[in-house]
Amino acid sequence: MAQTTAQSLHTAIHTLREELAGAFAAVTTQADAESFRITYLSRNGKVAALFESMKSLPGPDKPVFGKLLNELKKSVEATFAEIASRIEAASASTASRVDLTLPGRTLPLGSIHPVTQTLNEIKSIFVAMGFDIADGPEIEDDYHNFEALNFHPHHPARDMQDTFFVSKDVLLRTHTSPVQIRTMKKQKPPIRTIMPGRVYRNEAISARSYCTFHQVEGLYVDKNVSFSELKGTLVAFAKQFYGSDINYKFRPSYFPFTEPSLEMDISCFLCKGKGCRICKQSGFLEVLGAGMVHPNVLRNVGIDPEEYSGYAFGMGIDRTALLRHGINDIRLLFENDVRFLRQF
Amino acid sequence: MDVDASPDDIAQKLTSAGLEVEAVENLGEKFDKFVVGYVKNVVKHPKADKLSLCDVEIADGAVIRVVCGAPNVAAGQKVPVALVGALIPSNMHDPEGKPFTIARAKIRGEESNGMICAESELGLSQDAAGIMVLKDSARVGMPLSEYLGMDDVAFEIGVTPNRPDCLGHIGVAREIASAYGVPLTLPAAPVTENQNDPVAAAAVVRVENSADCPRYAARVVKNVTIGPSPGWMQDRLTVAGVRPINAVVDVTNYVMLEYNQPLHAFDYDRLAGHTIVVKTALPGEKFTTLDGKERPLPENALMICDAERAVAVAGVMGGQNSEITSATVNILLESAYFNPVSVRKTSKQLGLSTDASYRFERGIDPSATVEAVNRAASLIAEIAGGAVCAGVIDEYPAPVEVKRVRVRPSRVNQILGTAIAPQEITGYFTSIGIGVTSAREDEIECTIPAWRPDIEQEIDLVEEVARLHGFSNIEDKMVSEIDFSNKYVSAATTDRVRTWLADNGFNEIVSNSLLDEATAAMFSDKLVKLMNPISKEQSVMRPNLLVSLLQTVVHNSHYGTDSMRVFEMGRGFTVAHPAETDVVIPGFRERDLTGICLTGKAAAQTWFGAERAVDIFDMKGVVSALLNKIALDKYRFIYYDGQDALTDQRVGVEINGVYAGYFGRVAAEICRKLKIETGVFVAELSFDALDERERVFRQYVPVLKYPVVERDAAFIVANDVPSSSIEATIRESGGILLRSVELFDLFEGKSVGEGMKSVAYALRFASAERTLTETEIEHVMNAVIAAVTTNHRAVLRAVETK
Ligand SMILES: [Zn+2]
Repeated sequence: MAQTTAQSLHTAIHTLREELAGAFAAVTTQADAESFRITYLSRNGKVAALFESMKSLPGPDKPVFGKLLNELKKSVEATFAEIASRIEAASASTASRVDLTLPGRTLPLGSIHPVTQTLNEIKSIFVAMGFDIADGPEIEDDYHNFEALNFHPHHPARDMQDTFFVSKDVLLRTHTSPVQIRTMKKQKPPIRTIMPGRVYRNEAISARSYCTFHQVEGLYVDKNVSFSELKGTLVAFAKQFYGSDINYKFRPSYFPFTEPSLEMDISCFLCKGKGCRICKQSGFLEVLGAGMVHPNVLRNVGIDPEEYSGYAFGMGIDRTALLRHGINDIRLLFENDVRFLRQF
Repeated sequence: MDVDASPDDIAQKLTSAGLEVEAVENLGEKFDKFVVGYVKNVVKHPKADKLSLCDVEIADGAVIRVVCGAPNVAAGQKVPVALVGALIPSNMHDPEGKPFTIARAKIRGEESNGMICAESELGLSQDAAGIMVLKDSARVGMPLSEYLGMDDVAFEIGVTPNRPDCLGHIGVAREIASAYGVPLTLPAAPVTENQNDPVAAAAVVRVENSADCPRYAARVVKNVTIGPSPGWMQDRLTVAGVRPINAVVDVTNYVMLEYNQPLHAFDYDRLAGHTIVVKTALPGEKFTTLDGKERPLPENALMICDAERAVAVAGVMGGQNSEITSATVNILLESAYFNPVSVRKTSKQLGLSTDASYRFERGIDPSATVEAVNRAASLIAEIAGGAVCAGVIDEYPAPVEVKRVRVRPSRVNQILGTAIAPQEITGYFTSIGIGVTSAREDEIECTIPAWRPDIEQEIDLVEEVARLHGFSNIEDKMVSEIDFSNKYVSAATTDRVRTWLADNGFNEIVSNSLLDEATAAMFSDKLVKLMNPISKEQSVMRPNLLVSLLQTVVHNSHYGTDSMRVFEMGRGFTVAHPAETDVVIPGFRERDLTGICLTGKAAAQTWFGAERAVDIFDMKGVVSALLNKIALDKYRFIYYDGQDALTDQRVGVEINGVYAGYFGRVAAEICRKLKIETGVFVAELSFDALDERERVFRQYVPVLKYPVVERDAAFIVANDVPSSSIEATIRESGGILLRSVELFDLFEGKSVGEGMKSVAYALRFASAERTLTETEIEHVMNAVIAAVTTNHRAVLRAVETK
């Protein structure tokens, strides 16, 4: 073995320090750590070798270098311990590592039809106002669908509703209004009911019209029910349903079973009343028809029009659903393509 | 009527009064930037022989230079000039006649600032031979639309069936006059008559059915010239959507539009005996109408006849045998009031709706009959020449009584929720011609003009007040006290079923309940058929939801979607026997159903598992969970419910002891016919047996405080022993300590022997009072094993403690 001098030991320590810097950086796995330990910190390692070579130094140099080497050893051991523990922690998590980017086990996503969703919202608003819910048959007789509603057998207003007949006096209801008659015959005032349901019109199927669609009818009969209150109720509904910032207007209209009759227009919620293709540039959409229950209708169901008055209103659901969801063809509502349905 | 208001303001007022203006067309708009010009000077174009340079005065002192190619242009003419920016509707130099806009241009080096137009370029006629030369009286700078009398505004009004009076211009004018508070003057109809030719000698009218024809008026005009009507009349008719034909027919239509009184002109010389007889058609009678079609006449159709034959279907259409032709010289004008119901019935049965029948069936003004025929006679004499016979025939045996209707101001205000003074109410009435015969604070008595057949009772007058007062002047108030006497339970069963299904991955569908008969017939022989379907594809009602579910499967398979979870809540319709009394409409049954459908894959092939096709146990799991949730525990499955043609693997469902539907696999034969290739599993359930109003709450069962002990027991048993009966035996023999039984393994194979299966159950024991001992459990297990081996000839394979 070459004679160790203070000079040569100095150089050796310096060289080892430089080497260690690189060696520490290279330790990334547990195997790296083990070979580092063997190379530098074992009994035959490079640090121990320096202690060995110190033994042949001249006497007075020994304590100086002894202190120097002890410090070196401590610092290397401390750094190594830190790296080793970090690697250990990392490798512990590596053992259970999962590819979290794999797709999850899916649950099937169901949906409620947009028409039902729209209807449910309308229902909940009126239920909160104290309305009950009633229904009646879709196959109706002429009496309930027309006659009791003040359409006498040769009333020209029958032309407003193209009708499917299944026999001479039995038809598919053209509106939900016959349920008004059935409700008033069954119940004494006060009556406050909404009547949702499916109706039929003998019209050719196109993007804008379908032979079947859905309506909600409303009826309130009590003492002192007024036109003013009808308007108030409709405004309250419209603000709930379409938004409190809408504009609205009422126009006189005609239905044989109500008088006075009105139609309500609300500012187009698509263009905020500025005018667009959907509202035909008018800025308004026709949303419902209503009026005071005609005294003839009240008489037909055995309610005295002198004692009671009432209002009724009706609106289509499908068209609203189309507008709300940006659907441009009513046929899509009845085709039941699941790629369509899954979007809601 | 003198109203100074913009067209939009008038439209808004009409709409507020209940006459909805659907469109306002400014007829003069297409002549925007067209004016009357005066040609001051014409010189030849220096570089083009056929062109001239014209200096045209277009306003006082304003002169523009225009290059013109027409040979007939000359100084001193008044001409139509299109200014820069005007849109020429038809370019005569373009092969397709496309429109173009006038721009400042240089033509062969000469500046041109407009165009002098030919009639064809203005869309006025086909005449393209040269420029149009206007009358000398035309004022320079005047808008061309004004010169042409085409500066009108057309309102398109949606007239509701209760306002027949507004099917005539006078009726609409009355509403406008009322809205602006101005007087209305009706067109004067002075008739110059030939006193030497009294109508009484010229024609006879006899009404045999005065119930259907309460009034019949006629005039005779002789020596008319059948030619075109004047341009102004043709223009107005065209705007109103009526095709001009000849002067006589045009006048009848024109007066109809004014007075809402349909008129008919007969060729007087083709009326046998110069006689009109109004009577009911004979059974089996046929008649050829103006449109050349021979039609069998409906029973009780009211006919206009001459001395020998029918000449018109009253109120609907005239006959070919008496129509006005170019050879017509003398005419008889009919102005009648026919019974609305009679006209409607005849029109419906003939399938023939005309401008006349549309008006008659809604009810015209029986007091305007003579006025209208006078107006027509005077216009015909003016336009088509001829002499009007002296006098009017007016068969009106029982004049329509003036209706008197009373209205109480208090009632008006009660119904409307207003406080309108009685004086204000009478003011509204008189403004639209309703007479007020007495006005007290508590009651106003009105006489209703004959043109308002819709006003019959108090409420009709309330409506008049509402619309004339203005809906926007009636406050929007909500005074109703909320009254919770109503019975709606928010968590209605259907809503809960729908929510559960959607939350569990089912897509709600809404299908057409009309379909083709051939498909529907596969599902029921009690189909409800439409008498008047739109098409074969929508001619019967669906008998059940199964057919809608399967149509949805078919529809989606066309787009490559083979796996589906869908449901529908709707109705099935069948005919019912007349003796069935539990239906609303006799002869028809409607059932509220919930249909559920599963098809395709229950699980797709994924990185963590293999794919699996849906089977009956997927559907059973869905139905069990749904019923558990919705019907609480009040349901029962009926296994081997029997087969029908529609399903196999069918299981019946009972709710509250009432049969409520089934679930199963759609029969292969049905799938084959519908070209469905995957297995389809369906459920069709009715929740009628659940009373929505009955508040049922699931009752709490205390949770166990003591440990649960598990034992597994496996048996070998004949493979035709139903699992459910082994389970029942275990439950029964396990007593109260047995908390649950679950089948966790099932297999057949050589190892268990031919015709046998191995079934393994997990049993869980616990007590509510104490910790169970080994001995206690041993005792119960022995009882269970003994019962199963005895009752089902089973062999115990193993018992395992967990
Ligand atoms: Zn809009």
